[in-house]
Amino acid sequence: MKVSLFVTCLVDQLCPNVGVATVEVLRRAGCEVVFDERQTCCGQPAFNTGYRKEASKFAKRFIEIFESSDAEAIVSPSGSCTAMVKHFHELFPDEPEWRQRAEKIAAKTHEFGSFLVNVLKVEDVGAASNEKITWHDACHGLRDLGIRNEPRKLLKNVKGAEFAEMENADVCCGFGGTFSVKYPEISAGMLDNKIEMIEKSGADTVVACDASCLMQINGRLSRIESKVKTKHLAEVLAS
Amino acid sequence: MQQLTAETFDQNARAALRDPVLHGALRNLADNFVGRRKNAIASVDDWEGLREKARAIKEETLLHLDEYLLKFVESAENAGAKIHWARDGKEACQIVIDLVKQSDAKMVVKAKSMAGEEIHLNEALEKAGIEPVETDLGEWIIQLAGETPSHIVVPAIHKTKEQIADIFVEKVGIEKTDNVDVLTKTTRRILRERFAEAEVGISGVNFGVAETGTILILENEGNIRLTTSLTKTHIAIMGIEKVIPKFADLDVFLKLLPRSGTGQRLTAYQSLITGTKKNADDAGPEEVHIVLMDNGRSRMLSHPVTRQSLACIRCGACLNACPVYQQVGGHAYGSVYPGPIGAVITPQLIGISKAKQLPYASSLCGACKEVCPVKIDIPELLLHLRAEITDGTAGGSPDNPERKRRFAESLAFKMYGKAWSGQFSYGLGIKAARLMQKLIVRDGKIGKASGLIAKLLPPLGAWTAWRDAPAVAPRSFREMWKDGSIAEARTK
Amino acid sequence: MVMTTAREDIIGSIRRHLATSRPFDAVHGEHRHFEVVANQALPVENVTDVRKLLDNFCASAEMLGIHIEIASDEREAAVLIESVIDRTGAKKIAVSNSQLVSEVTEIIETVEFTRNASIDFLFDSDLGITSAQWAIAETGTLVLEAENEDHRLISLVPPVHLCLLEASKIRQTLGEILELTQANLGHAMTFITGASRTSDIELTLAIGVHGPGELHIIVLNDR
Repeated sequence: MKVSLFVTCLVDQLCPNVGVATVEVLRRAGCEVVFDERQTCCGQPAFNTGYRKEASKFAKRFIEIFESSDAEAIVSPSGSCTAMVKHFHELFPDEPEWRQRAEKIAAKTHEFGSFLVNVLKVEDVGAASNEKITWHDACHGLRDLGIRNEPRKLLKNVKGAEFAEMENADVCCGFGGTFSVKYPEISAGMLDNKIEMIEKSGADTVVACDASCLMQINGRLSRIESKVKTKHLAEVLAS
Repeated sequence: MQQLTAETFDQNARAALRDPVLHGALRNLADNFVGRRKNAIASVDDWEGLREKARAIKEETLLHLDEYLLKFVESAENAGAKIHWARDGKEACQIVIDLVKQSDAKMVVKAKSMAGEEIHLNEALEKAGIEPVETDLGEWIIQLAGETPSHIVVPAIHKTKEQIADIFVEKVGIEKTDNVDVLTKTTRRILRERFAEAEVGISGVNFGVAETGTILILENEGNIRLTTSLTKTHIAIMGIEKVIPKFADLDVFLKLLPRSGTGQRLTAYQSLITGTKKNADDAGPEEVHIVLMDNGRSRMLSHPVTRQSLACIRCGACLNACPVYQQVGGHAYGSVYPGPIGAVITPQLIGISKAKQLPYASSLCGACKEVCPVKIDIPELLLHLRAEITDGTAGGSPDNPERKRRFAESLAFKMYGKAWSGQFSYGLGIKAARLMQKLIVRDGKIGKASGLIAKLLPPLGAWTAWRDAPAVAPRSFREMWKDGSIAEARTK
Repeated sequence: MVMTTAREDIIGSIRRHLATSRPFDAVHGEHRHFEVVANQALPVENVTDVRKLLDNFCASAEMLGIHIEIASDEREAAVLIESVIDRTGAKKIAVSNSQLVSEVTEIIETVEFTRNASIDFLFDSDLGITSAQWAIAETGTLVLEAENEDHRLISLVPPVHLCLLEASKIRQTLGEILELTQANLGHAMTFITGASRTSDIELTLAIGVHGPGELHIIVLNDR
């Protein structure tokens, strides 16, 4: 299957290795991966802060770029950016033509883990690791896209790895985009609860499918000099 | 105690975060209610179908609210109830005061009513020389303490039993105790005396049935039953959104509300009141008055997104599920409606310019939407209100620091909109960031060692006060893709 | 200037704002289909067997800490009432005007039952005895219609409430009860599910805060 990679700006700039791992796993699963270098950001920061005009510019640009590819699917290593694509239609209440185009693009856009399990029907990508892994449900992947079991299936099939479910895995890490800097104290309080649960699980690696949550969680783990590492789902599956 | 306002949410929240007693209470709330709710909804075969149906009923009602409201009025009047219309809170208070004065009462017993809290009815009654006596245990505690409720369902959740015992020692003169049963028995004893002398009872309304004119009120304690059956005059305050079309619709809402609110299949009591008694010897009030109140509700009908706010049945499930509420508690929201539902209702009720922070008091995690029994998409509503704020339509004083901050933010988003939507300018921006970060990146991250510069850049400073920030990677994904280092050959 | 009433203003405001919303409704509705299910019936658990209904009712009631006993006739019910009176030490007992309550309490000669009790009596009483018009098995709920019996205060004010229930009045679901009661809806109907309770202090359960702290149900199996 021909897949167009929507790498997201965070992965592109802050953790490009996640992008590399995503490509690798997709190829292993038999996909041909293409990457359109014109892509930048989905506009989520603007949308979530209330700047719809700016967000709609990003959306239109995104739609034009990804419409131009003949790939059957658009795959992204981020639940939250995938969810943003699914929200594009809301930005065009007065533009029925754009609404339709947005919905077409949304229908073929998938989050990485759910694409593997639900579209490619792959639950074991042949990965191996000796880590003790726990999973953090990123909010938008979980609640906007309904992804809960897919990543767990994939992680439980990693050879040699042990999977430990943490308590409150589906509770927010406190990132929330601009929320994390508008209300840093609240964000940090939520984050500390998350860290407590991660450490309680006994895992040495916490995995998620959103660079933003990982940045938030890792930022605190690093500050308190915890031994627990963060990894993106693609990185674990590429190992 | 000074009342907090929605305008200062950030300061209120910071103060709340420093309160260890509050934190313990909020954790207790989450530990208890979240699990109880989960167990309770498991006893319904098709919970999702039930939620869908409830929302559909509410949507149908709201789209024809004028018709259903008039039908309700007709049915209730036919059954003997007297209907009063109040455009706003002030009018509603005045109607209540006039009714109390007509019956020559100097005091009234009150059952918990969020609508009553919303319009500050107690304050208005006191000013008119009428003593309001709250009879719900939580509300009574709050009244004795001179505070406001911090939760829709359990108003005194922020207080420990030690603090409550101290209030009782001071205000009702009991011996110090740590026994909850003693505290509730004391409440029973003292409030029974007040019930015995009360001539007027004031309650809220959970549902008003258009078809029959029935009002339904739920509770666990029995104080609502006492308030509505011992007194000569019963006054019920009802928001105009409380109406539902059919008597049979109660089935749906009575399955949803207790399970969502307290994790019960059904609360201990439901009072279904349809007008007045026909036989003078029967127990129960001679007069039943229903005050239909708008107070900012009808304008929420002007858009399908905001209209959802009126579907709320005040169960409190979104508060219990909200990680932000769990951090800051109810008072921080500076409104009688706290938590996620408060963050969307308050700005619409009091005017968005007076509550601009509330729509941002959320990480948009969606836990509220997940538990809402009537499927209100609270994140969608928050985003809608945020867009209203950034449009500039929300106004506010030009000297307001909030407005200045907003200006800087809007400039930043305009720049981001320009720069990041072009491939070339995006690349350029990243190169600039890489150059600049040399000043602050230490050991591959921006952390404590990065010093003052990181702190001076406002968003970065807010981030790094608690967390390290990652550095921009030396080579981006697109650069690697371009130079062929993500070659096909690496694939097994 | 024409003065408008609050009623006119509110209804006018509702209509105006709904009209403003109409153009947006169509677009927004593309992704939502609530209208479809508004009149759809929910799946119902259809239980008609009297024995099964009684079992279900007892199971729900016991889960809530309700003291429930089954009597095969009025005489047995009277014995059960006496034992409740003995155990609670009740002296001042208020009874409702229901036929069933009269029939059963008349059997007990050693105790004085007060009919048409005044409010003062009720406030000072130890026990209230009523019957119920209906009951709901799925939740363990008693349904009291004030139009048919003077139990509105007797079931509420005394510290202990004892309720007689004919087994034939049990239905499985709330939905059935709503359908049955709607035709002759009186001025007050009360649903009672267990004793008065509160969790307002630290979410600690406390029983009997305003209403009865004990609820006894005696089901008459033969009626």
